[in-house]
Amino acid sequence: MPVNAEKEIGKLWRNLHGAQAEICRTYYRWREVALAVAGPDAKPLDIAMKAAEIMGNDIGKSILPRLNWLKGEEAFMMSLGKLLAGLWVTEGGIAFAEKGEKPGEVMIRCTRDPWPSVAKTYGVPMEEVALAREKLYQSMLKDVSVFFNIPLNIEMLKAIPRGEGEYLFRLYKEN
Amino acid sequence: MAKLLFEWDYSSYPGAKAYPHLFKPIQIGNLTVPNRIKYAATEDNLNDHNGFITDADVEYMRLRAEGVVGGLCFMQGVYMDPARKGQGYVGQAAAWDDKYIPGLKKIADAIHGEKAIAGYQLMDCGRVGAVEVESGHAPSTVPQRLRVFKPMFEMTNAEIKEMVQQHVDAAKRGIEAGFDVIEISGIVGYLISNFLSSYTNRRTDEYGGDIRGRSQSMIEIIQGVKEVCGPDIPVGIRLCSDELLSDVRGNTPEESMQTYQFAEEAGADYISCTLGWQESIFPVISRDIPQGNWLFLAKRAKEHVNIPIQMAYRLFTPDKPNKAIGDGELDIWEMCRSMIADPLMPKKVLEGREDEVRHCVACNLCLARLFRDAPMTCYINPRCAHEHDETFYPKSVEEDDRKEVMIVGAGPAGLECAYVSAQRGHEVHVYDKRDELGGTILEASQAPYGDEELMTCTNYQKVMCEQAGVHFHLGTEVTEELIQDELPDTVVLATGPVYAKVPGPGGDRDNVVNVLDVLGGKAEVGEKVVVWGNRKPGIGVALFLAKQGKKVTLVGKDKSAGFDVNPSFKWRYMIYLRQNGIMAYNDCNIEEINDDGITVKTYDGYHFPVACDTIVVSEREANESLKKAVQGEGIELFVIGDALVPRNLSSAVHDGYRIGLRI
Repeated sequence: MPVNAEKEIGKLWRNLHGAQAEICRTYYRWREVALAVAGPDAKPLDIAMKAAEIMGNDIGKSILPRLNWLKGEEAFMMSLGKLLAGLWVTEGGIAFAEKGEKPGEVMIRCTRDPWPSVAKTYGVPMEEVALAREKLYQSMLKDVSVFFNIPLNIEMLKAIPRGEGEYLFRLYKEN
Repeated sequence: MAKLLFEWDYSSYPGAKAYPHLFKPIQIGNLTVPNRIKYAATEDNLNDHNGFITDADVEYMRLRAEGVVGGLCFMQGVYMDPARKGQGYVGQAAAWDDKYIPGLKKIADAIHGEKAIAGYQLMDCGRVGAVEVESGHAPSTVPQRLRVFKPMFEMTNAEIKEMVQQHVDAAKRGIEAGFDVIEISGIVGYLISNFLSSYTNRRTDEYGGDIRGRSQSMIEIIQGVKEVCGPDIPVGIRLCSDELLSDVRGNTPEESMQTYQFAEEAGADYISCTLGWQESIFPVISRDIPQGNWLFLAKRAKEHVNIPIQMAYRLFTPDKPNKAIGDGELDIWEMCRSMIADPLMPKKVLEGREDEVRHCVACNLCLARLFRDAPMTCYINPRCAHEHDETFYPKSVEEDDRKEVMIVGAGPAGLECAYVSAQRGHEVHVYDKRDELGGTILEASQAPYGDEELMTCTNYQKVMCEQAGVHFHLGTEVTEELIQDELPDTVVLATGPVYAKVPGPGGDRDNVVNVLDVLGGKAEVGEKVVVWGNRKPGIGVALFLAKQGKKVTLVGKDKSAGFDVNPSFKWRYMIYLRQNGIMAYNDCNIEEINDDGITVKTYDGYHFPVACDTIVVSEREANESLKKAVQGEGIELFVIGDALVPRNLSSAVHDGYRIGLRI
């Protein structure tokens, strides 16, 4: 029996996107759990920031084996930028890394992000979505910076949840 | 005048004539070593989990001491802190208290009983330590690249001074226990190497900064240990000549050579030259690295210091170290894995019995086991780590109990079983339909990246069989009739596996060929090949074909390729698959074979086509043939190796050995 490519790809596509949507939904379900456990005095933004920090630290540890310094600083920064963008892609976003204007500077651009629309269904403020993404990336860099002995930083220049049409991050080495 | 502990005269031995440089004396410090051979300190996880020496470890060491024929024999490194941060292996010996001295003395006495020089090693495992506690100590708090290791926290200045003193105190205990040489371990990611490396030492105090500052703790340790050792007990150190950590901004090779010079200036009497860290991304000791590959580092070390240089690292046969010593590029030949595989290796070389050496196949199973808190095991030597256990030695059978044993299959399982049972007094006949010994190893050894070394197993077994009087019937296929005619007392089926039929339509097409025929050059293979089976035989043939420029795809049922390869070697294969452009579809099966290629079915039901002109079958199944015929005759039956369950060379050898002891 020849393979029915349309049927196979269609099934795979639906399942992939279903799984990506579940990533966002699972996060916001856990956010509700955390808020319920923390009680009425807890600030949702604090909880979101703490979650981004813990998750970012852990993801940062997992990317250490995939980074190396053999090809020098420029290549290292681009490979790190691609890993950060790649994380977004696995979640269902469209994201890529590109060379910045300054040496060693990498821009991470995301033009499609599934998180804000899922956040809306859970009543999450859009500013929290943007700040959590920034915190997640900053926390990912913590162990990477120490491990390679390079002071790395990342800053958010634009954010989709702020109505700016795209996310734009600048990844750079601090002087 | 230098001290000589034991008199050895090698002049009448053939090995001393063949390898004269290996069997001439050398002075380290004020001690004369009769030859250039050293069993280097190696963890074995055989000791009590509280650091006390066990009988198993004593006997393990005694046999290696016999092997070095008067040379240096080092026990494993001891950890020295009661907090156990420096402990890197669950069965590592301890020396942080006098209560450990009696156990250590047993090892020193066992080594001396073989007229060998007893070496004792101090080893704080640093970054790869804290195996039994939550966190470890390090010069700086640098995250671990591999999650398997515990988090490390920066030591205070006072803690560093305490650590130095712990080395000195542990050295005193070693001397009291009777050891003749004290060695400090500063390699592969252990604490001293952590201090030396720019990767893990970010300190700015007296123990950090430039390479001189990073060497300060090592210098204090050498000086402190030298002081308690006095002039008659040499002190050596194992140091990386190249960390192979350029990907994480580690030391340059030039900085490593500076550490050698600092060690010499501090009073070290010799340096054991090593390379790489456990977390290096470059291979150092696996089978894919050619023998003698790293000797240039020993040569470079000798250009930088004036004390003896020792080295192991892919030197498994005596020719290369003998030449290097003769050429002035090395002083002492160290061995770890080659004496795990054959504890008496140098002794056999000396006695002119080189063909009786069971060679290490550099699979690194021993290391994989140690890193996973399991006792030492050798892939190729079933008796390893069972030296103390009488049941692991062949026992002669009474004359009345001698049997006629028919072994079907002259592969690694059959040959191992043959010589062991023949040594016990049985009359053993080995049959094989081929004209050569070796079974599937003959083909497996054709795979690239060093697999030709697998044949050393067959070469060893052949010699042992010949010495034990095994009768060979090569070119003879065993049939039911032959069994009925011979009516042996025991039949051992070591026939190897049968190769699975590709499931689904098309499995009987002409372009479906067998892995053995491909590796043996008997099958025609096109340019686009699918290999079915993602275990070692599949990987081997896939790489063999990719090296010929063919486009190869691997399809297999296991969740990951190389499921049967130990983790300390598997990573090499994963890299080679990628480098050779081999796509692996794991957790998959072949649903059908058609004119264009195959249809792959994933574990969760997706289908996709893979174009190919040839399908190579490497999936194996147990071999049931002849079983019923033997059982029907009421003959004692054993099934071993891949015929029982398709596995690997190690399982075949271990099966053969155990059944050889049982018949």
